[in-house]
Amino acid sequence: MNRLTCPFCGPRELREFEFHKTLPEPGSSPYARVYERVARLDESTEHWQHVLGCRAWLRVRRNPSTDAVLETTLLGGGAT
Amino acid sequence: MTGAIPRYSALALLRARLSGGGFWSPLWTGRKLKDAYDVVVVGAGGHGLATAYHLARDHGLKVAVLERRLVGYGNVGRNTTIVRSNYLLPENHYFYEDSLRRWETLSKDLNYNVMYSPRGVLDLALSDGDMQDMARRGNAMRLAGIDAELLDLPALERFCPELEPRRQRRFPIFGGMVQRRGGTVRHDAVAWGYARAATAHGVDIIEDCDVQGLRTAAGVATGVETSRGYVKADRVLFATAGHTGMIGTMLGMPLPIETHLLQAMVTEPIKPMVNTVIIYVYPGHGEVYVLQSDKGGLVMGGFLDGFPSYTREGQWSRLENVVEGTVAVLPRAAGVKIVRQWAGTNDMTMDGSPIIDRLRHDNVFLNAGWCYGGFKTIPASGAACATLVATGTAPDLIKPFKLSRFQTGHLLDERGGGPFPVRL
Repeated sequence: MNRLTCPFCGPRELREFEFHKTLPEPGSSPYARVYERVARLDESTEHWQHVLGCRAWLRVRRNPSTDAVLETTLLGGGAT
Repeated sequence: MTGAIPRYSALALLRARLSGGGFWSPLWTGRKLKDAYDVVVVGAGGHGLATAYHLARDHGLKVAVLERRLVGYGNVGRNTTIVRSNYLLPENHYFYEDSLRRWETLSKDLNYNVMYSPRGVLDLALSDGDMQDMARRGNAMRLAGIDAELLDLPALERFCPELEPRRQRRFPIFGGMVQRRGGTVRHDAVAWGYARAATAHGVDIIEDCDVQGLRTAAGVATGVETSRGYVKADRVLFATAGHTGMIGTMLGMPLPIETHLLQAMVTEPIKPMVNTVIIYVYPGHGEVYVLQSDKGGLVMGGFLDGFPSYTREGQWSRLENVVEGTVAVLPRAAGVKIVRQWAGTNDMTMDGSPIIDRLRHDNVFLNAGWCYGGFKTIPASGAACATLVATGTAPDLIKPFKLSRFQTGHLLDERGGGPFPVRL
């Protein structure tokens, strides 16, 4: 995993991006949203930000066992 | 020590030499998995083995350690061997200090040389703010009776002349804080030493045995399903480090843990150059730590890679950060070749402190959340966790490491960074 594809800027080097957190299950309690993390070997859905680029907030689906990126979409841009 | 495992001594060594080597025998292999145990420990890493050792030695219980891969395959064989107790929060420094005291005598206790080397752990200050931060932490430690010394430039020059503290740098050195009793311990020897000592006390260590599920009846665990069949257990302890999140998923109970990679690297062996462990935050690059192994290689590490992963492959950008930070402080390290680089999976909790507690059932226990500091706590964690598992009551030393602290607000946020493991 060396690149992420920003919906605005296209494929960019990973160090331009910053991981924020893994997304909670829909309908989780406030406690769970802050502290608990869903752990799966095959898939992880996360908040990232293009901090050294357009600063857009992204929703990234990845496979944490291979670091393959499955999908990158704009957070709040329909696919949340 | 009892059983078929011979005691090591100078005399035994001499006898082995004269008898042509027949004295040496495998230390923990070849044990058969039985049907039932008092305690099943999942994970033969440092914490699992140390807890098993204390369960058998101090509490006389029948224990099995089940390991999916090999003894010491995970973080106990991947860390950078540093031991120290220079923490700010009382809950942390009393616990880590208990561990450091145990390191001092561990070789004798285990009858196995773990090569504890109190070469000092030096926190380097690259700004006035760093110095104030260290003075605060050092004072907190000294109030608890733990050694800490704040070093100004002349004192730093005396302690570690190789650093050339007065040399002109982009970020000049202001001073540092040293804990002289800190240092290094040979990490593999810790896994092997505990595995050998546990076996000598009757613990069965079963490698290549994957735990796939927990069987319960009427709200208590009755045993574990494994790739080698069902094993009955009165109590179960999970000590699975980077894969602790999966244990939570298996029990249907998400944990306040995220798994991140931490990488380290080692150079070709060179002549003695660094006589201590040097730790600092290099501005713009993140944390860097450097030490020289007994073999002569410079061992270097840095901060987490930055996102959850189980690949055990480090990010190139982090490796670059660590190398640049090292060369900026130790210019003479430039040009030395890196011969190996690796990464381990770290069970990062949401406050950076560990969890030793019951997990969901009354007879299921969790020893996890060691973040990037698990190695140095192995002896204290093993002894305290064994007491919790055997007696059902947590010793005072580990009472603050309850899982419920995230709900009650009693967080141990040493870093003061909030519930985000990778944010500095």
